[in-house]
Amino acid sequence: MKTLIMISNLNQINLNVDGVIIGLKSLSVNMPAYFDIDDLKNIKKEIFVMINKNMHNSDLDYLKDILIKLNDYNIKGVIFYDLAVLNIGRSLNLNYDLVWGSEHATVNYNTINTYSKWCNYAYVSNDITLKDMIEIKKNTNIKLMVTLFGYLPIFVSKRHLVKNYLNTFNINDLSKINYMWDKENTYPLIDSDYTLVYTNFILNGLKEKLKLDYDYIVLNSFMIEDTLFSKVVDIFNNVNIKNQDELDDVLNSMFNNLGKGFFYKDTIYKVK
Amino acid sequence: MTELLAPAGDLERLKIALLYGADAVYIGGLAFGLRANAINFNEEDMKSAIEYAHKLNKKVYVTVNILLHNKESNLLINYLKKLEELKVDAIIASDLYVITQALEKTNLEVHVSTQASTTNVETVKFYKELGVKRIVLARELNKDEINQIQKIGLDIEIFIHGAMCAGYSGRCVLSNYLTLRDANRGGCSQICRWDFDLLDEDKNIITKDKNFTFCTKDLSLINSIYDICKMGINSLKIEGRMRSTYYIATVVSCYRKIIDSYYNNCKIDLKHVKKVLDRVANRESIVQFFDGNYGKDCNYYNNREEISNQDFLGEVISYDEKTNLVKIQQRNYFKKGDYVEFFGPNKTIKYQINEIFDEDMNIIDVVNHPKQIVYLKIDEEVLPHDFMRIDIDKI
Repeated sequence: MKTLIMISNLNQINLNVDGVIIGLKSLSVNMPAYFDIDDLKNIKKEIFVMINKNMHNSDLDYLKDILIKLNDYNIKGVIFYDLAVLNIGRSLNLNYDLVWGSEHATVNYNTINTYSKWCNYAYVSNDITLKDMIEIKKNTNIKLMVTLFGYLPIFVSKRHLVKNYLNTFNINDLSKINYMWDKENTYPLIDSDYTLVYTNFILNGLKEKLKLDYDYIVLNSFMIEDTLFSKVVDIFNNVNIKNQDELDDVLNSMFNNLGKGFFYKDTIYKVK
Repeated sequence: MTELLAPAGDLERLKIALLYGADAVYIGGLAFGLRANAINFNEEDMKSAIEYAHKLNKKVYVTVNILLHNKESNLLINYLKKLEELKVDAIIASDLYVITQALEKTNLEVHVSTQASTTNVETVKFYKELGVKRIVLARELNKDEINQIQKIGLDIEIFIHGAMCAGYSGRCVLSNYLTLRDANRGGCSQICRWDFDLLDEDKNIITKDKNFTFCTKDLSLINSIYDICKMGINSLKIEGRMRSTYYIATVVSCYRKIIDSYYNNCKIDLKHVKKVLDRVANRESIVQFFDGNYGKDCNYYNNREEISNQDFLGEVISYDEKTNLVKIQQRNYFKKGDYVEFFGPNKTIKYQINEIFDEDMNIIDVVNHPKQIVYLKIDEEVLPHDFMRIDIDKI
């Protein structure tokens, strides 16, 4: 099992991990940072590039250019959300893999196997139970990755929902990150090119790492301070059956809002 | 001719939608649809619905547009085979496994759901190669983008009326994480309509007069229908499988009139139609992304104060030609002297209420009991399933 990290800055490429997932300017959403393609040159680890925005027609020429250019950057794969990436990518002679990573859609093995016609990897969603994740592994032959640490993206809008509110009520606020608060929980909220919302908790899948036989686990540095993230990486690298409780305690002492997400609870399908 | 496609949450609403001018309806079965909490159609109802629609030379599409989890995905094929056996005219799907299984293992026509958020020509080309017949485009597209996509040669369906999601469909799981209800499997609890406080980066409250919400105004492309018909869009979709019969009848008949006026090259009082539509809505409607403008005017900061008027007065149960008495089931308060109109699929009759009789034929002045049965005397024939509403020209 290899460890990938979603990086917030280029210093993090020096952390003791197998590879990185990089967001690119104008093509990625829900990433801790967005880089230029040339930044990839400095990375001597496995590189997966996240190209996961909803593509509109005006994005397609640039998308194709980037997919072609990435052939020169020794990357392992492109994780995609929109089928436009797949459709353009399969028509090009790419020397890297395409990873199906449609965020909330990668939730069963039959659909993952459907994508295996075009992709060698799938990035499994966090919206399902650990049991479902394990079942997926048992029933597919393609390589799997899953996020086991970090805030999880839960909403993407083309609308500028924060800016609209601030403009409507003439509120002067230059925050880079806002929060929405329901009197109990605060949810990080970013309005830049899109409006993005994240979970109120940091997913902690430390112990679950030991139960999942996936090819890659992903640790997301979004909103995690550098020093703490470095410790998180060490903890995930060193966890084993014997020390899992101890390391889990350490992790819990570092953050006060760790959560298990849907590992052990399923969503409600029908209310009535 | 452009298809008018209406929602139908159950058999009654399906009949109303078709009666009032829809060319096709979309419905959900008891599984795999994104309105898990609607009444939906069991197999028997679905069979009746399809037979009813086909007799009228109209179509029924069935939503199979959830994102499947492992356990559901193994039940899919039998369900698709059943839909094929029932002769549904198409399924509406978003999960690629559903799409490919339907295309490979059945003869079902497949429409790609708006849940898949199709926003570009490359994605449409991909679906075309698979054998999909139609794409229900994402609601985030403007007119030019739709035009470009249409050139790929697949049937194109767009939403023209109803509530909007605040985010890209398929990318919002607020409901999952805030209420445990799975937005992508039919359980959406509409967090986008909730009120929140907005905090700055130091977590200070910056909310002012009105609470922060994602709530968007509704969509109405009423002023663009001629343009859309000219563009050659194949199907115009009305949102709202959980809406009432009155809402469906009103909205469908309004758009029916506009589409017909385009194809028959006849004039229509668009201002009046718009007024009727505005009265039936409970939120303000605007053009949204179609004209490329999705700024602050698209949002709705009204503390969830949605307008619910009492225009819908009653539904016609029967009409006696000999006595000229119309039997009505009351839906909202009305009284002697009120100006009302009866509207049906083909005509509208204006009328001032002069006499009201209760079930024992006693004269009464007001009708104020829910679902009360009363009789009115009216010379012109009205039909079962006609509706009585306030005459909005008198308001």
